[in-house]
Amino acid sequence: MPTSQPLPPKEKNLFNRILKCYEQKQYRNGLKFAKQILSNPKFSEHGETLAMKGLTLNCTGKKEEAYELVKRGLKNDLKSHVCWHVYGLLQRSDKKYDEAIKCYRNALRWDKDNLHILRDLSMLQVHMRDLEGYRETRYKLLQLKPGQRASWIGYAISNHLLKDYTVAFKVLEEFGKTQQSQDAPYELGELLLYQNNVLREAENYQEALNHLEENKSKIVDKQFWLETKADLLLSLGKETEAEKIITDLLYRNPENHRYYQQLEAVLKPENEEERLQVYESVARVFPKADSPQLLPLTFTTGEKFKQLVDKLMRHQLKRGVPPLYTSLKPLYKDPAKVKVIEGLMEGYIENLEKSSKFAESDTTDEPPTTLLWARFYMAQHFDALKQHEKALNIIEQSLEHTPTLIELHAMKAKILKHLGDTAGAMASMDEAQSLDTADRFINCKCASYMIRNGMISEAEETASKFTRENVSVEEYLREMQCMWYEIECATSYAKSGQYGNALKKCHEVDRHFTEIIEDQFDFHQYCMRKMTLRAYVKMLKLEDSLRSHSFYFQAARIAIQVYLHLHDEPYKAGGGVTNDQDATMSSAELKKLRNKQRRQERKKAAAEEKRKQEQEKSGKRSRQQQQKNQKNEDEADAKKDVEFDPEKLASVADPLEQATKFLVPLQLHCSKRFDTHLFAFQIAERRGKLLVMLRSLLRCDELADAGDRAELHVCKVRFAKKVRDANGVASAVSDVISQFMPKLFGDVEIENFNLKFLEESKKSLLHLFAGCRSMHHLDNGRKEQATDMLLRYDDGPDNIPTLQTCEAILDSLKQKEFGELAEATMLQIREKFRAWHPRACVFAAAPEPVEEEPVLNGIDEHSNETQESGDSAVKTSKPHRKSEVSDQKNNNNNHSAETSALIENHCSHGD
Amino acid sequence: MGQRKDVRIELGAITQHNIKQLKRLNQYIFPVSYNDKFYKDVLEVGELAKLAFFNDVVVGAVCCRVDVHDGVRRLYIMTLGCLAPYRRQGLGTVLLKHIFQICESDGKFRSIFLHVQINNDSAINFYKHFGFEIVETKESYYKRIQPSDAYVLEKKL
Repeated sequence: MPTSQPLPPKEKNLFNRILKCYEQKQYRNGLKFAKQILSNPKFSEHGETLAMKGLTLNCTGKKEEAYELVKRGLKNDLKSHVCWHVYGLLQRSDKKYDEAIKCYRNALRWDKDNLHILRDLSMLQVHMRDLEGYRETRYKLLQLKPGQRASWIGYAISNHLLKDYTVAFKVLEEFGKTQQSQDAPYELGELLLYQNNVLREAENYQEALNHLEENKSKIVDKQFWLETKADLLLSLGKETEAEKIITDLLYRNPENHRYYQQLEAVLKPENEEERLQVYESVARVFPKADSPQLLPLTFTTGEKFKQLVDKLMRHQLKRGVPPLYTSLKPLYKDPAKVKVIEGLMEGYIENLEKSSKFAESDTTDEPPTTLLWARFYMAQHFDALKQHEKALNIIEQSLEHTPTLIELHAMKAKILKHLGDTAGAMASMDEAQSLDTADRFINCKCASYMIRNGMISEAEETASKFTRENVSVEEYLREMQCMWYEIECATSYAKSGQYGNALKKCHEVDRHFTEIIEDQFDFHQYCMRKMTLRAYVKMLKLEDSLRSHSFYFQAARIAIQVYLHLHDEPYKAGGGVTNDQDATMSSAELKKLRNKQRRQERKKAAAEEKRKQEQEKSGKRSRQQQQKNQKNEDEADAKKDVEFDPEKLASVADPLEQATKFLVPLQLHCSKRFDTHLFAFQIAERRGKLLVMLRSLLRCDELADAGDRAELHVCKVRFAKKVRDANGVASAVSDVISQFMPKLFGDVEIENFNLKFLEESKKSLLHLFAGCRSMHHLDNGRKEQATDMLLRYDDGPDNIPTLQTCEAILDSLKQKEFGELAEATMLQIREKFRAWHPRACVFAAAPEPVEEEPVLNGIDEHSNETQESGDSAVKTSKPHRKSEVSDQKNNNNNHSAETSALIENHCSHGD
Repeated sequence: MGQRKDVRIELGAITQHNIKQLKRLNQYIFPVSYNDKFYKDVLEVGELAKLAFFNDVVVGAVCCRVDVHDGVRRLYIMTLGCLAPYRRQGLGTVLLKHIFQICESDGKFRSIFLHVQINNDSAINFYKHFGFEIVETKESYYKRIQPSDAYVLEKKL
């Protein structure tokens, strides 16, 4: 061992015990032994002991002290592989992987065949995707330990990842010879399938097919074997053989859509009739399978389509299949099919209402649930066609019919949401939730609707029905990486101007992605041991593009928008959160908001208090346990994640830098999305980077759809103005820009360019507003003209702007897009929007501020019901239910007077 | 009122998770409202209270309690009913037969009895069909609905 500070046997023994304690996570004992060595003046500067003490301290959460000790240790003994290894481990735990790799390499200089270090190094290398380095290290390990199977497999994988398929295959082949199938049949099967995978990726289809046949008996995953064989036969053009395999697969599972595609690819039907026969032949064998009934609907047309969809819908309505609409949704791309479906459904409903039959000519009566599901379908149908009021009518009718069906309440909530009535939507979803409190899906939906209605603390309360006790809801959901919840919260916070809190949630989502990437470490070793290599390689590929997930995109979008806003209007500490809002809100709104905040704070404080008390209670017991098991405690200290501080996040000095951090993964993984380049443009604009602006603008121009064109136009105008106003631009830069200007603007001046756009946008408020913004940007004296154009927008029945457009415009005006606007003007605009979207809460006039607890339908019901007593059951129900209930009551009274009435009997509670 | 072959009628337990469904049912079916105690007790009586599922949708329920008076043990049906569109589908029969079965396996009930508003002919006919008889008329039994008189229907076991 090349250490320059060898220890005498007694101390050497102690040192080994430190290592052992570290491995067994007995950190306190480890520190004790370290102290014993270091307290001897002869060894007080012993490098390796200092380093180990540091590493141990790091595990108990004392990072700074750890760094200091490890560095001191290293300085005292630069030739010790232990010191370098320890420094590497420390850096690794701090996620400084590149640094850690350097340390490991240094350690190997002093002990080149150290298996432990080589293994650690290889894991970091594959983690960092240093694949060349990984192969080198795995090769070394294979040479040193040819008896271990991980050595072979690791080397094969490293070659596979580098697309060196020949070597990978050969290594696996050699290794496979040593494996006996009776030891672990599944593992061997997996190994062979992985090997086959290598051949297929190398596009050696014939060889892969042979390999598959040779090893048929040893492969356990029969379905995958068949699927792979079918794929290979298709790739090799052996269609007759493929047909047989695909038919086998279809008989195993007639609901796998891919098999049908493959069957069609083999049989090559020439027309609709033949194509249909493919499916009918399967349907004859599996009359109960859905897919052969459903899939032909996508390609059949005219009478045939009508006949097939009629049969399918009748069958599923009769059976009561709630997701019928979801199955048929793909057909809604074709307006002709939508029309056929609507016609049939309307016919059913009419007849079912009249005579409980689908058609007058039918002989059998349908059960009442058939009408119920038909109406449920129609509500979804009209909602999808944006005829929300019609949908709402049908759902109300259905609720009158069967008020206990949870799906109906949830659907009503969804329709109200689409109409912008967030409060009503929330109340309906809460009703749905209360009807089955054991249903987690509906509970989540309810929480999400509450957040959309700006009631985060109520959402927490609802969610708490399914979270662990003694842990705050927020903490629990964070631990569970429950990202939809965090994104909903972030959206809501951003909307209400609580930028710090919004950023906190965005950063939490971002951290989840980092955590998922970190979690790879658990699998590098595990998968090699368990031989789940197909899954392992798939996971590596997934992790490479992890941040392409839509959750990341959503969080990044909010974060970037908030940071841009913070750049434009820096956060003022203290009460600054609402400062910039105050100006744009009426005093009534403000009062309302303040009240709400105060209420939320009160509630939060109360909940916190309760939690603390509970923790104290349970804490006593658990502390005893912990003392018994002190290593747990040590670990717990170190594991605690740093909480993000909203105040700090909102007052960052470099918001553009922060925004860029969120942007980079989008540019990497979502380069096909308009928004990615829009954000890039917006950041570059604030930094004055003309060429980056130009590049982003050109990408936007390629990707924009009709809706994006509005925002694109604004960007173009802003860019052109910036170029025109810029002084002292380097000639190289301005040359490039002038080269692209004609592509973006034709040969017109910006003013005329904008006038033309305004002229073309008379039928879309979204585009008109973009034109107005641009006009105001070019000449901010034209604020009146801009608002005037908005107010004069021609609202023909076909050109009603969407709720989202109106909301965005209102938000943007509140953010002073046109500077300070007169209250009367704002009111006028709001009224105009309200006329288009009468149910939308955002355009409703601000109600008088409520001092007491708000009467918020669904929410307070719970508490009321626990208090209600005696006759008050009906009276304390929420307002709109009350009328329904008493209507019903009258109906029933009339009913009981008639003979057609019900089986019922009554008792009074007094009895 | 025989049960059809293409529909499924099943009974299910009432739990703290779905008790609100019973509340909604009762609000829609009966002109009388029930207090909290009613719903609290229902959770305790086990098989004596059941929800009825028609093709997997909750549309009806029965709630009973044991009545002991002067040492006589009887079963009292507090509520039995289903939503209007689901009447004459055999739900009432299934619910009532469930009650009969309880009494049979218990073996110690003297009779089953209940109250019906005097003008509720269909209900009276329904119970008569299963062997109930009018044994008494209680005047002004109901406080908020008209007619306020009730028949007591009883079936001896």
